[in-house]
Amino acid sequence: MKIVRYQNSPLFNPSTSYSTLRNEMDRLFDVAFPALSTLQRGLLGGLVSEFPIDLFQEKDAFVVRAELSGFTKDEINVEVADGILTISGYQKTGETKSSKKEAANAVTEERRVSRSVTLPEHLKLDQIQATYENGVLTVKLPKSEEVKPKQIAITVK
Amino acid sequence: MSQNTTLEPQSVTRSTSAPTVTPKHQIRETNEAFVLTVWLPGVDKSSVETTVNGETLTVLGRRNFTVPAEWTPVHREIQEADFLLELEIDHRVNRDAVEAELKQGVLTLTFPKAEAVKPRRIEIQG
Repeated sequence: MKIVRYQNSPLFNPSTSYSTLRNEMDRLFDVAFPALSTLQRGLLGGLVSEFPIDLFQEKDAFVVRAELSGFTKDEINVEVADGILTISGYQKTGETKSSKKEAANAVTEERRVSRSVTLPEHLKLDQIQATYENGVLTVKLPKSEEVKPKQIAITVK
Repeated sequence: MSQNTTLEPQSVTRSTSAPTVTPKHQIRETNEAFVLTVWLPGVDKSSVETTVNGETLTVLGRRNFTVPAEWTPVHREIQEADFLLELEIDHRVNRDAVEAELKQGVLTLTFPKAEAVKPRRIEIQG
């Protein structure tokens, strides 16, 4: 087996972002299992795809922006479970279109997208707001007042 | 075609010098038309310009969103550059009857085919 010096691994640099780490992992797998990666792109890649997101923080909230163009409000699902925010979209075009023009161009197509973000603690989960405009979904997650560290008194007997 | 299109100054009319990205797009062909779908997330009706100049179709979509000053970026993947798509169209397209529709960041342009290239059914006599 050939030994190659591993260059510029961001895996060991804590300051690099999640996407760099992801790309690095993808690259690692592409090198190690090239057949698997083509298979994955061909099969899995066609089924569920991802979309770009931005994460912001403001004084009293976190904001997630996602580029999800072409969906309707009802086709997008935003849910929080177990500290993970999942944004997913499902669309089936071609069959139920009512307008004549769209029916003429009918090609039944399914589109599935999904993306998950691990949330920080101390959020007001019941006050999450989501808006969808011009193909961009904005989710606002208000922060709750930080829970004060609990003092536990130890009684010595 | 009688029009002399080669002498027209192209790409001079571009009104932006800022960096642009090519949006994701798809072209389909139906019996009557060519349908171009362009994904322009974050672009609304007032900020998309579609022009046909000679043989060139230009779609320019401007993003209206600017990050508010009080938002601190934590992680960014969405590019801020405007969208620019330039495609060549030829004689098969009837460019006088282009229809455009923008819905939730997806622009659909329908170019009817020129009469000469539409499939024609020929009845067999007798």
